[in-house]
Amino acid sequence: VTSTSLLLLSGAATGLVGSMLGLGGGVLLVPLLTLALGVPIRTAIAASLMSVIASSSASATVNLRRGLVNVRLGLVLEVATSVGGLAGGVAASLLSERQLHAAFGLTMATMGVVMAARSKRRNVIPDLRVDPGRLGGTLQEGETTFVYRVRHLPFGLGASLAAGAISGLLGVGGGIVKVPVLNTFCGIPIRVAAATSTFMIGVTAAASAVIYYARGDVALPLTAAVCLGALPASLLGARLADRIQARALKVFMAAVLSAVALQMGLRAL
Amino acid sequence: VKPEARLDRTIEAVLASGLLVSAALLLLGLLTGREPLLRLGVLALMVTPAARVAVVTLGLLLRRDFLFALVSLWIVAVLASSLLVALRS
Repeated sequence: VTSTSLLLLSGAATGLVGSMLGLGGGVLLVPLLTLALGVPIRTAIAASLMSVIASSSASATVNLRRGLVNVRLGLVLEVATSVGGLAGGVAASLLSERQLHAAFGLTMATMGVVMAARSKRRNVIPDLRVDPGRLGGTLQEGETTFVYRVRHLPFGLGASLAAGAISGLLGVGGGIVKVPVLNTFCGIPIRVAAATSTFMIGVTAAASAVIYYARGDVALPLTAAVCLGALPASLLGARLADRIQARALKVFMAAVLSAVALQMGLRAL
Repeated sequence: VKPEARLDRTIEAVLASGLLVSAALLLLGLLTGREPLLRLGVLALMVTPAARVAVVTLGLLLRRDFLFALVSLWIVAVLASSLLVALRS
């Protein structure tokens, strides 16, 4: 009973943070399950992928209603993510686990610094006459409607490719790579970046989840508890994100990036 | 209602019903300790994003947005191939 409630809580905690920041939450859940609860890594990754599906689908319902999801942009980026997912499987055999952790930790640390440094900059244009282009869009914030344009799309595609690869390698959704890059380099408002990332992550996770399921890595009661915790928490998190200032979201994201970087760095040593 | 918003509503409904079915099965399975219910719940969960992709593809085709429908079909193909990998293992 105690362990079931612990699992529900783990799912809830990661679902809450994940849905606020556009992460599936796998990047937080996998270490939580393995390090704190002693779950074997493959079981943890499989449970995490399932909870990522639950969490991202739940927050997507809230974000779609709010008009925050850019479906077209999500589709274009998903093409790169899916290729990355395949490439990740191949690359995994070429790199040692230590090199993987080091590379991941270094990337996260850099993104954390960039994110914190640019947290004051805004991506939105408060002029409705500006053409958002084929992939851009509008964002309603209170009474004001803002326009945003997508810049440096190749950067975004590259990040999605990397996100897919990391997803294939580490069993996380990849939002931790996509959201910072989309926000800092591609000119996408943090809320839209998070919502669009969340929207895509469910598909990325489902693609690898079936493979884990077929291999028998899904521990049913454990996975069920984690998912049931993640569901309501994600609905709450997606709603909360709306009330928080964009700047605070960026600082929060920078903090999560640094924490993940530190943990990955320690494992590489 | 703009067509863009109508597709959003449909996607929302697909995701919400998938989650509802899955959550009910998982909860019932946990409370009664019946493994087949948990299994069905997990399967419903995995089907949800795939159903979402199918709906988006269909919606774009109906709207004659062929470029983006093609992009969406690519994702259908990727999901199908991962299902194939899963079935063979």
